[in-house]
Amino acid sequence: MSRPAGRTDWAEEEDEEIQALPQNSVVKNKDGTETFITYSTREDGKKIKTTRRIKKTVIKQIVNPRVAERKHWEKFGSEKGRPLGPQTDTVSVAENIVFRPSANWKANADDKNEEEKKKADLKQSKVKCRICNGDHYTMKCPFKDTMGVADDATPAEMPDDAPQPGGTGMGSGSYVPPHLRGRPGGGGGEKMGGKYERDDLATLRVTNVSEIAEEQDLRDMFSRFGHVTRVFLAKDRETGRAKGFAFVSYADRSDAAKACEKMDGYGFGHLILRVEFAKKPDGK
Amino acid sequence: MRPILLSGHERALTQVKYNPDGDIIFSVSKDHVVCAWYSHNGERLGTYHGHQGALWTVDVDPTSTLLATGGADNTMRLWEVKTGKLLKTWDFPTSIKRVEFSADGTLLLGVTEKRSGHLGTIVVYEINPDPEAKQSDEHVLRIVCEDSKPTVAGFSYCAYYIIAGHEDGSVSQYDAKSGELLFNREVHEADMQITDLQWAPDRTYFITASKDKTAKIVTTDALEVMKEFVTDTPLNSAAITPVKDFVILGGGQDAMSVTTTGARQGKFEARFWHKIFQEEVGRVRGHFGPLNYVAVHPQGTGYCSGGEDGYVRVHHFDKPYFDFLYEVEREHAQANL
Repeated sequence: MSRPAGRTDWAEEEDEEIQALPQNSVVKNKDGTETFITYSTREDGKKIKTTRRIKKTVIKQIVNPRVAERKHWEKFGSEKGRPLGPQTDTVSVAENIVFRPSANWKANADDKNEEEKKKADLKQSKVKCRICNGDHYTMKCPFKDTMGVADDATPAEMPDDAPQPGGTGMGSGSYVPPHLRGRPGGGGGEKMGGKYERDDLATLRVTNVSEIAEEQDLRDMFSRFGHVTRVFLAKDRETGRAKGFAFVSYADRSDAAKACEKMDGYGFGHLILRVEFAKKPDGK
Repeated sequence: MRPILLSGHERALTQVKYNPDGDIIFSVSKDHVVCAWYSHNGERLGTYHGHQGALWTVDVDPTSTLLATGGADNTMRLWEVKTGKLLKTWDFPTSIKRVEFSADGTLLLGVTEKRSGHLGTIVVYEINPDPEAKQSDEHVLRIVCEDSKPTVAGFSYCAYYIIAGHEDGSVSQYDAKSGELLFNREVHEADMQITDLQWAPDRTYFITASKDKTAKIVTTDALEVMKEFVTDTPLNSAAITPVKDFVILGGGQDAMSVTTTGARQGKFEARFWHKIFQEEVGRVRGHFGPLNYVAVHPQGTGYCSGGEDGYVRVHHFDKPYFDFLYEVEREHAQANL
């Protein structure tokens, strides 16, 4: 602490005792600040040098004479003979704490943050009902039994005059085996929701597709005949190349039929496409 | 607000106290040593050596000349504040859990622990304020608590009563002259120990902290519960702040279960509640163990807390603390202008 500013070279000191930590030092700077250099050994054995520049300002305070007198008391006990001022071994200054009392301070605001964030994230990831477009899962829709699935892209489910063959009507909720479905008045079971199942009737299977084909190519070709809702081109997972078959779904079955007729035998790339319905209309 | 960390103790702090002028902080811990610190910069004035066991309690007389301590070595000791000289030792069959001077400094009470064949007692000694004088060996009063042992105690205003908090959560009022039990009231939940009792500046009411996670403001005369502060953690200490109408509560889960939870869950924060509206207004973090004691500067300019982690943290309040007002308080202040 009381060491003069211009100390001897440290290099020498280190040569003598490599293990020991250099002595803490205090250097008085010209601008009135003091630089405290302290050394410590961290748990992992690494030496830490901490350099702190401290500016000391004298604050005059008017105090009770008793208090003023006590300021000049001799130190005693373990502190006996120590110089004036706080000692670095017993006193340190912690990092700044912002403390603002507030009227509607929320308990554990920080603690809850994380949980709330998660909840907010969940809310952010929009849950949308396919039936009524509400913010709940389709499964939980209150109109589940009374309304069909609203899919703006695929009005395939729009009820026609007569129940569609193989359609899954919304009549009585009782189970109807697949082979009985679509019979007039047969009603239908509740539809198990995969969207891939939904438009099977308007889906074409395209085979003998060139390896270099892209989904977009197919989409372009097939959208000539009507609104294409989905194009699936099977690709090899490793090479990323087309496997040679694809599925194309239409919004309307008649478009699909037209496309099937026209595109079967169409030359695409160096191959001739073969197009057929993915599922036979009568479920056979 | 930049807290000053006092790291002079090697073990958990048990009590910290400001002297009445607020310039010196006394701290005791389980490491047998009493420390005196200047509150404005954290400089250590000195240490008081002599105790042979963990220390539980400390108090300073109103003139800051005498210091009383009590600990697990079954002694209560009196020290000269200025020099660290041991003036007097009183021996007891059990440890001393709490010492407190009366408001005028002429009486000193000690609370003794209940243990194997010894009931918890409150003993009162007359103190000669002159450090040179010989202190009496004989107590002037001894209250034996047969029902539930006292854990904390203190003198009311003018030393009319002795108020004690008990292990079973009740608070009792004794006549400070005769030692007669005037009455006892269940203040906290049954069998939840009262861990601290600190006075308002005029000693007409006090605040108790309890393991039942609440702190309560109770009147001295009728032991009537005026205010209640409900928290989510067992409390070790509660203090009333002058200047601002706050109370500071300190606590945290028990030391034994600390290792099993993170610092966040431990709730090792000083909680500031509004004394009148009974709403929490903020927290100050910092300790990484439960707070064993919080003491407020008698002029209300700061507070310090002693933790199970062995540190005393001295805080000097800054402007936002003093500026804070509730809307109604602000309106009231405006109207009075």
